[in-house]
Amino acid sequence: MGSQTVRAVLGLLSPCLASACGTPVNPTVSAISTQVDAPDLSLHGVAFARLSEGQVVARGTADRLDYRRAGGRVVASHGAGVVYPLPGTSLAQFGTVRFVANDVDGEVPNRRGTASGNVRMETTRGDSATTERIECEGDLLRSNVPVAAKGPGYRVEANGLLAKTDGSSIKLTQGVKGQLDVEGRR
Amino acid sequence: MIAALLFATAALPSGPIDFKARDMRIDPQERRVFLEGDVQLARDDLKVTGQHAVAEYAKARPAARTKGRGKGVRGEAGIGGQTVERFIVKGNVHVERGTRTADGEQGVVDVPGQTLVLTGTPESPPVVRDGSETLSGDRILLRLDSEDVDVIRPRVVLKRSLAEEGSARPTPVKVEAEHLVLLKAKQLARFNDDVVLRRGDAVARSPRMEARYDADGQLTRLELRGGVDVRQGDRRATGQSADYDPHARTLVLLGDPKLYDQGDVLTGDRIDLALDSKEVRVERARGRLRPEIHRDEKGLQ
Repeated sequence: MGSQTVRAVLGLLSPCLASACGTPVNPTVSAISTQVDAPDLSLHGVAFARLSEGQVVARGTADRLDYRRAGGRVVASHGAGVVYPLPGTSLAQFGTVRFVANDVDGEVPNRRGTASGNVRMETTRGDSATTERIECEGDLLRSNVPVAAKGPGYRVEANGLLAKTDGSSIKLTQGVKGQLDVEGRR
Repeated sequence: MIAALLFATAALPSGPIDFKARDMRIDPQERRVFLEGDVQLARDDLKVTGQHAVAEYAKARPAARTKGRGKGVRGEAGIGGQTVERFIVKGNVHVERGTRTADGEQGVVDVPGQTLVLTGTPESPPVVRDGSETLSGDRILLRLDSEDVDVIRPRVVLKRSLAEEGSARPTPVKVEAEHLVLLKAKQLARFNDDVVLRRGDAVARSPRMEARYDADGQLTRLELRGGVDVRQGDRRATGQSADYDPHARTLVLLGDPKLYDQGDVLTGDRIDLALDSKEVRVERARGRLRPEIHRDEKGLQ
């Protein structure tokens, strides 16, 4: 769920970066010598938002954001995002979803990305989840490292995660344990 | 068996249920959580294991704040939208609670109802065990807030009725019925509908029967009511009621009791049948005897 925001962040970054980069520059005529892997665009103190039908559906910040047009690669440090799920979606029941990670690395055209380093997700409903690394590919989120989540009525630890970014399916894998609150006597 | 179940451990306390499994799938739309592979559910002395489990959430309802829980809104969302009200566990279901264990193919834990219902297959019916005691039936309902048990079509051996001094292999008393309720507080087992009691070659049938136990869990009496039909060999006895004394191993028929033994018909105020010696005692006997039929019988007194 938290990494659903990865996809959202990647999605909203894509048009932003496309317009920021403007017309492609031919490196052979560049007057400035740059290191081989230098980004085409590097931003500090970034804040961005994604609009849909006049409404902000996601927004985010990053201390630093590098964009390389080759492969549409985005690297962000200390990224944070907020997704406002559309009413009626599976994700909507969780309320606003907030997401932070030390590092975010993605390929916008391929809709692929990885968030790593103290990845944390929180919802207004009271859910929170942490992991060290999570990958997003298309509509799928995947983690093969320990994931811990808790919220109203539950607490769970797992060694992996497989989920759909729209929240319609969330699977904790490779050994899970935790607690579920139960309904009291009628 | 029944005695052991009547004197089992304390009731289930409140609190969250711990779980373990290989995988956990959350279906928010259906408000269910699926646990797959070596599922374990535990809550204090209650442990339930199986191959698969589904946790079903209560339907949404208006939230109400609960005292002493400053942050939370009780009854609001759990993983699937509400707190869990039912677990369905399937595949080699095993239940442990105190000294009692139970097995079946499916177990349904109804948390608000405080029940655990075990079912199985005709080949492998659900079973409850307590030490060496065993109770099986088509469906076994274990109450979680007491030690009461409700069994559909029970098949049970009353092992604690076997105190037969000097006997190498005591004769077991087997009971079949459509329905059995074990009531711990009353130290009572209540069988209903088509009750069949078997002990050696004696078979007693009655619409209902109650088994009563003492504080030590020993069977003290079986009370058959609503019309009793007893057969032992060629002998048949009927009455409105019958009491079985497991110590004396006698069945006492009351309420217009009648004894049919080949051509003989005896009636009286009370008929005592000693199931081991096959001795019969009739109080204020009257009836019709046909001695010529018994002419060739040996050992007839």
